[in-house]
Amino acid sequence: MSETTTPAPTPKPLPRPSAESQPYWDAAAAHHLKLQKCKSCGDFWFPPSARCPHCLGGEHSWEEVKGTGRVFSFVTYQRLYHKGWAEDMPYVVAVIELDEGPRLLSAIVGIPAEDVVCDQRVRVVFDDVADGISLPKFTPV
Amino acid sequence: MKMNIEPNTAYRDKYAIVGVGNSALGKVPELSSLGLIEQACVNALDDAGLTTADIDGLQMRGPDDIYTFHQVIGERLGINANFSTTTANGGASQILSVILAIMSIEAGLCSTVLCGYGRDAWSRTHRNETARMLSTTRSQEMDASEFGPEYGLYGAPAMHAFGARRHMHEFGTTRDQFGAISVAFREHALRNPQAMMKKPLTLDDYRAARMIVEPFGLLDCSLRSDAAGAIIVTTRERARDLKQKPVLIKGFGTHNNLKGWFDGDNMTRTAAGPSSARAYAMAGLGPRDIDCAQIYDCFTYMVLTQLEDYGFCKKGEGGAFVASGALRMDGALPTNTSGGQLSEAHAEGVLQIVEGVRQLQGVHTPDRQVKDAETCIVSGHGGNTVCHSTLILGTET
Repeated sequence: MSETTTPAPTPKPLPRPSAESQPYWDAAAAHHLKLQKCKSCGDFWFPPSARCPHCLGGEHSWEEVKGTGRVFSFVTYQRLYHKGWAEDMPYVVAVIELDEGPRLLSAIVGIPAEDVVCDQRVRVVFDDVADGISLPKFTPV
Repeated sequence: MKMNIEPNTAYRDKYAIVGVGNSALGKVPELSSLGLIEQACVNALDDAGLTTADIDGLQMRGPDDIYTFHQVIGERLGINANFSTTTANGGASQILSVILAIMSIEAGLCSTVLCGYGRDAWSRTHRNETARMLSTTRSQEMDASEFGPEYGLYGAPAMHAFGARRHMHEFGTTRDQFGAISVAFREHALRNPQAMMKKPLTLDDYRAARMIVEPFGLLDCSLRSDAAGAIIVTTRERARDLKQKPVLIKGFGTHNNLKGWFDGDNMTRTAAGPSSARAYAMAGLGPRDIDCAQIYDCFTYMVLTQLEDYGFCKKGEGGAFVASGALRMDGALPTNTSGGQLSEAHAEGVLQIVEGVRQLQGVHTPDRQVKDAETCIVSGHGGNTVCHSTLILGTET
C-alpha cells in the first residue's frame, strides 16, 4: 500500500429537503423550476411553506415558472469557507428575482465572476450534482 | 385589524441606566462566555454602587449554544429574579433587553434589572488545539438545511455583502466610502486602551487588505472577540439616590423585517428606519438633536445604511456622509467613539450601549470624550439581518 493517491475532494453539501420543499427538489431533479402558486390569491411564493404568506390560503399548486429573471444582488467568495469549493474559487452566490416575483438564492455560472452585475438578465440552468439531485443555477440570457 | 399606534411619550426620561461594565476584551482564554459576563456584571454593579441583593430582574444573552442563558447567569450570580429571560434577536437583543427591563419595571414586576451579553468568540476557535480543530470542521447542524449551503453560502459577511452590493448598484456607493468608516473607528480605538486593534489604519491599508466576500474585504468585517458587557436599568426616581449620575432613557423603538432580508428593499432600507422613527417620536427628538452615535457595526456597510435610515443624511447619500469625516471625534456626528465592533471588540452590541452611557456620564479622558455630549443614539441590528432596536440616551438635566 505504498502508492500515493490523490485525496478525494471534499464533497459539497447537498440540500436536505423539508416536507414542504420536497416537490421543489423533485421538479428540479427533472429540470423544471416549479414554485408554489396560491389557489386563492394567485401569487407565487418562495421559499416553500405550507400556506401562502400573502393571504394564508391553504390550497396551492406547484407550477412551472419561466425560469428567467434578474440578478438582484450577488457576492463573490474570495475566502474559502468550505473545502467543497476549493476548485471553484472565486465563486458567485446571488439573489435572483424571478420574473414572477419571488426571489431565491442561487449561483451564477457560465460567466467570469468579475462580469456579473446587478439587474443582469439571467435564465435557469440545472446542475446535476448527485443522483436525483439537481441544483437550479442561473446564467446570463 | 392593525391599529394606528404611537410610541408612549410617558416613558420619556422615566427610566435610567445607573451602571455599566465590561469584561476584559479581546483574547481572554481563561474565561468562558459565562465567566466573561460574570465579570461584566460585577463591574456594572460596582459602577452603580449596587449589590446582587438589589437586582430583581435579569435580561441576558450569550452564545446560541448555551440554552436558557439567563438561568445559568442567575445561578452563577446568586440571583432569584422576579422577571428574567433570554432574548433571541441577535445583535438587536441587547437594546431589546433594556426595553424589556423598562417594560417589566413599568408593569410592577421588578425594580432594578441587570442586562448583559457575553461570548468567548475568540477563544472558542483559538483556546486550544481542540478548539482550533473544531473551528475547521463545520457541523452541518449549524447550517441551514437548504437554499444556502448547497450553493456555497456561508458566514455572516455574505448576507450583509448582498446589501452592500445592491446599495453600490443603486446609489453609486464605493468601497473607499466603506473604508472611511473603518478608518474613522480605528482612530477612535487608538485612544481606547481596552481596544483590540492597536495599529493605525489608512485608506491604503483598507484597500490592500485581502478580500473575503466581495464587496467586503477583511477590514469591512468586525472582530472576533472574547467580550461581555452589562447594564443596570431602574427608574429615574430611584437613580437619584445612587452613586452615578444617571443616564436617562429618552426613547426606544424596534422593528423586525421578518419577511426577510431578500424581501422588497429591506437590504438597502433596513429595519433601522421604522425603529428609529419610534425612538425619535418617544424622545421628542430628531437626528439634528443627536450629539453622538454608537451604531451596530458588524460590517462597514451596515453603519452606512443605518446612518441613512436614522436620518443623518438622505437615503443614498451615506457614502458621501461618511467620507466627509462626519464620524470622527471632531466630525458632525462622532460615531462608535470606542472603536466599535470593527476595532474595539465585538460583543453583539452591548458595548455600544456601554460606550453611549460612558459618553453621557462624561467619564472619558478629553481625547475620547465628545465635548458637551447631551444625547447619544445607539443601534442594535441582527437576528439574521432583519431585527433592529434603537435607544436614545440623554444626560440628567
